[in-house]
Amino acid sequence: MPEGVPATGGYMIAAYVITAVVLLAYTISLYRRSKKL
Amino acid sequence: MKLLRVGRWITAVGLLALAGVYVRAFAFTPIERFQGEAQKIYYVHVPSAVTAMIAMGLVGLAGILYLLLKDPRFDRFGEASAEVGTIFSLVMLTTGPMWAKPIWGTWWTWDARLTLTLFLFLLFIGYLVLRGAVTDPGLRARYSAVLGICGIPLLAFIHLSVYLFRTLHPQPIVLKPSAPSLPGSMLITLLLGFGVFFVLYVGFVIQRYALGYLREQLEASGGEVGHA
Repeated sequence: MPEGVPATGGYMIAAYVITAVVLLAYTISLYRRSKKL
Repeated sequence: MKLLRVGRWITAVGLLALAGVYVRAFAFTPIERFQGEAQKIYYVHVPSAVTAMIAMGLVGLAGILYLLLKDPRFDRFGEASAEVGTIFSLVMLTTGPMWAKPIWGTWWTWDARLTLTLFLFLLFIGYLVLRGAVTDPGLRARYSAVLGICGIPLLAFIHLSVYLFRTLHPQPIVLKPSAPSLPGSMLITLLLGFGVFFVLYVGFVIQRYALGYLREQLEASGGEVGHA
């Protein structure tokens, strides 16, 4: 990390994790709903 | 059903490509000097917002076409696009505050664009609740079409909000009349993000459309459906 740059990496990781979780959860939801039909 | 399988494959490709966006964002884009790594939230936040807006636009367009042609495929598409749009709105509304906190010093502010995008999310929710509340298929399709069309002017307000109101959101740096003002590596990653989120949108909508179709067939044949 270059000197003087704010340490905001935690926010970035949290945002990327949440994005992946939401998209994967929806993928699984679609799959499960199709199996129940 | 073939459509369902096609949707699954497109979604699988989209998810793999999403991993590629993550790699590009983490390893191949520069760290912004004033915001640090939080600026990289841009590569998922903006594509999710644009995809949610495309989803709403297509819900409105499907509503117009349904009212004109009375073709149930447009109603089914509107339902699918609204549900998928809700998911992308959720990504937009969760990643936005995570970017805002370190940069603006607050998770949320009642800024024009934030408020309007919250309206977009609530409009998606309202659309889905409406569909769940009306049992008659013809009435449900007509009411949903009208509500979907109401979302179209909201999209214009969201896009123009940074010009019309005093807002913390920056002016567009890519979707503007002049050339994008982003370094090449950032622009490529952002465009890749747009492409991947759109592929995911297509994969999700195809699957959701197929589910809607199968459910209708089951209901028409008198089969039991205990879930959406």
